[in-house]
Amino acid sequence: MTTTDRIRAMLVKDYKIDPDRLTADARLEDLGIDSMGLAELMFNIEDEFRVTVPDEQIQLSTLGDVANYIDKLMARNDSAPATPAAMADTAASTGGVNTQPAS
Amino acid sequence: MRRVAVTGIGIVSPLGHTINDLFDAARNGRSAVHRLEIAGAERLAGPLAATVQFDGSAFFEPARERLLDRVSQFAVVAAARALADAGGELTDHERSNAGVFVGTGMGGTLTVDSGYETLYGKHSDRTHPMTILKGMHNAPAAWIGIEQGLRGPNLTYSTACSSSSVAIGEAWLRVATGMLDVAVAGGAEAPLSLGSLSAWGAMHTLASVDSVDPASSCKPFAKNRSGLVLGEGAALVVLEPWERAIARGATIHGELIGYGLTTDAGNIARPSVDGQAAAMRAALAAACIRSEQIDSINAHGTGTQANDSVETGAIKLVFGERARRIPISATKALHGHLLGAAGALEFVLSLLALKNNVALPTMHLQVPDPECDLDYVPNVAREGAAGRTMLSNSFAFGGTNAVLAVRAVH
Repeated sequence: MTTTDRIRAMLVKDYKIDPDRLTADARLEDLGIDSMGLAELMFNIEDEFRVTVPDEQIQLSTLGDVANYIDKLMARNDSAPATPAAMADTAASTGGVNTQPAS
Repeated sequence: MRRVAVTGIGIVSPLGHTINDLFDAARNGRSAVHRLEIAGAERLAGPLAATVQFDGSAFFEPARERLLDRVSQFAVVAAARALADAGGELTDHERSNAGVFVGTGMGGTLTVDSGYETLYGKHSDRTHPMTILKGMHNAPAAWIGIEQGLRGPNLTYSTACSSSSVAIGEAWLRVATGMLDVAVAGGAEAPLSLGSLSAWGAMHTLASVDSVDPASSCKPFAKNRSGLVLGEGAALVVLEPWERAIARGATIHGELIGYGLTTDAGNIARPSVDGQAAAMRAALAAACIRSEQIDSINAHGTGTQANDSVETGAIKLVFGERARRIPISATKALHGHLLGAAGALEFVLSLLALKNNVALPTMHLQVPDPECDLDYVPNVAREGAAGRTMLSNSFAFGGTNAVLAVRAVH
């Protein structure tokens, strides 16, 4: 089962989203996942994938972006602890959904 | 000052989800109080509650439901029902200045309790990222604004057990003085967490279980009263200027004619005869009516030793000898104490009592108390006795006394 498949299964189970909509290029905003939704998804992903998401802003646009981020996170976790600096290349980008809400 | 009409009512209550079910249960004395079945209930001194039959997934998409504590879900559903009942689609201009006024005593306490359980009970640092947004006191009002697109004042009042009477009263002030043309006002509460129940129990305020009939455990104004029973739910109403309601042909449930607000500034927990009496007098003054014009009262009537005797004294102080002839209803015996939502639900029951001209019964009043010697309409509803004008009393820990004066349309 690929990372995308596992995330897709989580979204079907927890968010009751039609699996047909959960393609790799599906935009998170179109799936009803806003900044807080992404923060909560990452929280649940930590449990599902046994990883620790670094304490940083994450900005991701599509389901595929989430899967790629998790894959890189797991790869880093296998070799060295994930740090914000180590993940900066995937996390920092423009556009998409950001996990840090404004206060 | 403009006259203020109540044109919409929405409830999520232990006595049902429609005003017909609510009124029918209250009129016929059907109690929603029961033994509470939550994890750890055996540790509670008074394991009782009046709960709401409610499945959030019936009202919210999963992604949205996960963002709302139970108290916000109650508030959003009740507000939608109130606006639907009021009828007529609000224009964008009307929404841009429509107000939301919500009372809640404990906000998202279920979420907060769960967060503490994770941190302290499970010794986990996995605090859920929604804890603040779900738990904050202004979340119910905020979500009503979001769901209904109401962009005027969005205010939350937390004055313990008078919160929602304050919310309705403050909304009334703004509509009556011409600041607002539409207000959604009321309260919501979902306090039935183990932590909350334990804390209420620690104050020795909760009723002990009636071993013969747990549903009758809350006994307002009775000699053998032992305390309050916590309830949950929400009640929201739509307020608008009388002329606007008439012009658009709206159904008017009743008229909110006055609001009195005083503070004991004495003891944080023990109520005051003078403070409560002052609030009733302030409501009469705001309504520009004399005490002789009050036909019946929905009492705060919690079933605690202190409240019921003090409230009796306050009513005597305001109404003198006539106090003995005024029907007084304490409906908390049936729907429990909804804390921050109690005043709103009882305001709705007052509107319905007037509309049907029925004085609602104070149930489980079998043993009279010499200190509570007024006419509490014991155990049986009284047809034709609500009259035309009522007071709805709400008194609170912290000493904030709020009284709403209501007039029937007929």
